[in-house]
Formats: sequence, C-alpha cells, structure tokens
Amino acid sequence: MTTSRATTQELVVETAGLSKRFGDRTVVRKVDLEVPRGVAFGYLGPNGAGKTTLIRMLLGLTQANEGSMNLLGLPVPARRAEALARVGAIVEEPSFHGHLTGRENLKIVAAVRERAAFDRIDGVLERLGLATRADDRVKTYSLGMRQRLGIARCLLADPELLILDEPMNGLDPAGIQDFRAFVREFVAEGRTIVLSSHLLDEVEKTCSHVAIVDRGRIVVQGAIEKLRDGGRPTLLIQVDDSARARALLSAHAAVDRVVDDGEALRVVLADSAAVGDLNRRLVEAHLNVTRLEPAQASLEQRFLEVTTRLENAA
Amino acid sequence: MSTLAHALPTPRLVSADILKLGKRRGLAAVVALMTVGTVVIANTVIELMHLSDSVKHGPAGGVTMLGHFAWTISALGAAAAAIVAATAGSGDLDSGVYRDLAVTGRSRLAIFASRIPAGLMYLLPFVAGAYAIEAVSSVVFTGSHPAPSSYLLVVTGLWTLLSVTFYYLLALGISCVVGSRSYTIGIVLAWRLALTPLLASIAALGVVRELVPGVALDGLLPAALHDAARQGPRVGMSLAAIAFVLVVWTAAALVAGAVRDTTRDA
Repeated sequence: MTTSRATTQELVVETAGLSKRFGDRTVVRKVDLEVPRGVAFGYLGPNGAGKTTLIRMLLGLTQANEGSMNLLGLPVPARRAEALARVGAIVEEPSFHGHLTGRENLKIVAAVRERAAFDRIDGVLERLGLATRADDRVKTYSLGMRQRLGIARCLLADPELLILDEPMNGLDPAGIQDFRAFVREFVAEGRTIVLSSHLLDEVEKTCSHVAIVDRGRIVVQGAIEKLRDGGRPTLLIQVDDSARARALLSAHAAVDRVVDDGEALRVVLADSAAVGDLNRRLVEAHLNVTRLEPAQASLEQRFLEVTTRLENAA
Repeated sequence: MSTLAHALPTPRLVSADILKLGKRRGLAAVVALMTVGTVVIANTVIELMHLSDSVKHGPAGGVTMLGHFAWTISALGAAAAAIVAATAGSGDLDSGVYRDLAVTGRSRLAIFASRIPAGLMYLLPFVAGAYAIEAVSSVVFTGSHPAPSSYLLVVTGLWTLLSVTFYYLLALGISCVVGSRSYTIGIVLAWRLALTPLLASIAALGVVRELVPGVALDGLLPAALHDAARQGPRVGMSLAAIAFVLVVWTAAALVAGAVRDTTRDA
C-alpha cells in the first residue's frame, strides 16, 4: 500500500487494521485510514469496494471484525455517543418520513440531538435553500431537495465531521455544482468532509485528499496533489503512423507501456530522462512527430495505475 | 450524562414520536373508526332499533350492554393498539430514518423507550373517548334496565384502558422484533381475536390457561358484568397471579423488542 502519511496534522478519522467479513467474504481488509482535519476527503473506489461498509463501521451501524477506529480523537465504539454528537452523516441515501414536512423531519432528528439543534432548524433550512419549501411534505421533494435536506439534517449537529456516502448519486449538473459549493463552504468553516464515491472525476473536483480503495483494501491515500506527482511521467505523442510508432516505442527499455487513446499515444515512462532519445528514434524512423508533450497528470491516471498494478500482482 | 440518563426517553423524543404518529391522517381515521366510531355507530343503531320495536330489541344502555361494549372496545382497541404499535415500532425502519437516528450517537434504548409513552399518549385518548361515550350511553339509554353504578363505570373504564395498554406494549415489542407492520398486526390480531378465546375454552388445559394474558385480563373484569365482557369461560385466578402473568408478558415483549432494536444492523 502506498501511503502519504499525515503525521503532522490532527486526524479526525483514524482506523488501524479495520476488517469486516460477511460469512466467508471479506469486504473491508485491514484498512488503515487517516483523514486530516479541515479537508474534503474522497473515499474513492468502484462499486462493491467496501466503501459503505467502512462508513457503517465508523458510525457504529455495524461492528468490525478486527481493528480499531478513532473518530474526532475518540475511540469508537467505546465513546461512540460522544464522538457522533459532533458528526453528521448520510449513509447510502438520505431517508425521511415522507408524510412529514421538511421542517418536521428536522425536528425529529433535532429531538435526538442536543437541545441547541432545535434552534438551528430555521438557519440550516435557509442555508440549504429550502426555507420556502420547508412546510411541504417531503414526499413532494425532488431528489436534489432531499439531498439538501439530508445535508441540512447533518448540520443540526453543527458537525466537525461530515460523512457523506455517494452524495452525488442521481444529482443533475446544477445539483452537483451546488453540492461542490457546499463542500467548499464547509471546509472553509473548518469542518472535515469525508465523501465516498465511485466517480473519480467528482472526487478530483471536490476533494483535496483521497483514499483509493479496491476490493476492500486502501491502495493509496493522501493529498491529491501529491498523489498526482507520485504517478509515473507520461508523454502524449502524435505521429503520422501510430501503429509503427507504438511498436517502436514499446520496444524501448525506458517505456513502461503505450496506450493509443485514439487522439494520441499515451506513453508511460519508466525513466523520464529518455524523452529526448524517444524523440530522436521516432525522427530517425522517418515518423512525422506533430506533438510531444508531458501529459497532465490526473487522478484517473493514478487510479488506473494503482489498480492495474494490483491486477498484475494478483 | 450518566448511562442511565442517556438511555431514558426525554420529553423531546416522546414529542417527536407523537408527531410521527399524529401526522398520519390514515392512521388517525382508522383508529378513530375502530374506537369512537364503532361505539357511536353501534349505540345509534341499537337505540334506533329499540325505539322502533322496544319489545323485540333492548336499549343501548344498561349494565349488560356496558359489558358488551367493554368487550367490543377492548377487542377493537387491541386491534387499534396493534396498528399504532406497529407504526410506532417499525415506522422509522420502514422509512429508512432509523439509520439516521442511530448515527446521531443517541442511545438506541432511549429511541426505543420513547415509543412507549408516545404511542399510549396517542392511542389512549381515542379509547378513553370511546369508553366515555359508551359510559354516557349506558346510563342515558337504559330503558327498563338497571343503570350501571359510578363504581362499575370507573372500574370498567380502567379495565378497558388496561387491556388496550397491555396489547399496545405487547405489539410494540413484537413490532421491534419482526420489523414489519403487517406481520405485527397479523400476529396480535390472531392472538387476541382467535387464539385467546380458543385457548381459554379448552378446559383440558386446566391451570395452563392462566398463562394466557387474555384470560388474566378477564379475571380483572368487574363481576357485575357477568359474562357479557368475557371472551371465554371464567378461569379463577388470584390478583397476584393475574399481575404476574401480565407483567411477565409485557416485560418479555419489551425486552425482546429493546434488545432487537439496540443490536440490529441499522
């Protein structure tokens, strides 16, 4: 596992060797997760990677088979109630009593929270843009409104940590933009956001930190910026004969692999010092090189790289 | 906050549960029909029949009719209790909100326990209203029959409320164990309306019948109502035995419901 350890920052979520099994199937494997305070943290992985199960364990909705967890510095489940008093969470999808209004649904949860939660109801409805529909029954709400009401419900706790499971599922582009804006606001207020998603692009646009999870195991985690830099150098090359160039480049010792993405050859290098030599060989082979530039590293590349490495190792 | 205090339902929790129940118009309509509505309709029909032919049809009032209506209110009240308890016990689960309540860190025991006073505060006014109408009717429409005494009216009223309360608590426990409204209503109705009279009438069971809560409840009926309000033959039981049976059944149901509610994967 590649890990960029957050040794200097305070951790709001910390797990060690956390595992969960359902019968013979292990869905979460020895997860060591470290979420620093005050960041938007993406827990990224394909469907079935164990993201929701990890969140459910953190929130005490299901028990871990192995390992330990701390939320906001408090051991869970030993001091679960204390920790969760300052955590807002949406697991899977926000659920409500459809026969009650938005405001009444918030009252239900405020009753379970501290007394001050009641005083926050009007404020969070206003903030999430739901004030005008607050007295309508929730069964008349759109999915986007339900998501916002779910976030409003989280804010009743004035949370230090928000845990959101696939929060962008089903949202239209405007809803996604609104959501990103909320996340930025919350982080600016000093809150920590942990969001799970299978949407790589969304995590990259919304979060500053990420853990990439595959088959229940974290394969890499840390600041997205650093993870991008940690990826292998990649060149984008356009020539007049892609097939011949691909064969030539693939044979070079400094080239890890070559992928033709239809527009250009994406050349992953094992040694970045070989760029000049590659260019010379292409020219000597009478190939017309019209483009040769370093590819902008993306989380997607890094994601594919680490998951490919896993597949190769398996 | 101590562990015990954390596990106790607060007035805010109870109010929230009453809100969930109170905003269900369908539930209110059904419960009202099964309690107040039934008493009003039945009394009206009986009294109109009596007025049209007083030789053939007796009046709606009197001691015997009070007994019949006490049985009716307790039986339909048990059905209403099952519906309310099933809604209170599994409503959060059905809607998916239970998970959102659990992630607040609030004691699940407190969340469970708040449904006890909330459901009773919702249900018992309907039952009390139905009985109050019947009490007035039993005194006003006596015809040539003897009117029930004040003592009998009070004791019968308390018995009716006790009977409905017992079935509410039983159904609440079952509801939290099975997590399904329909199964809970089915189980309680089958037990109250079919199995209880059946078991009570099997003389060969002897003393074992005393373990049936409906039989124990019958043992608390005022003697003046005779057989009018009983669902089977009288089985002689001491007050201590009656209290023991009712407490054990109630405790067993509530403990099972609480354990299931506090340990389930939410």
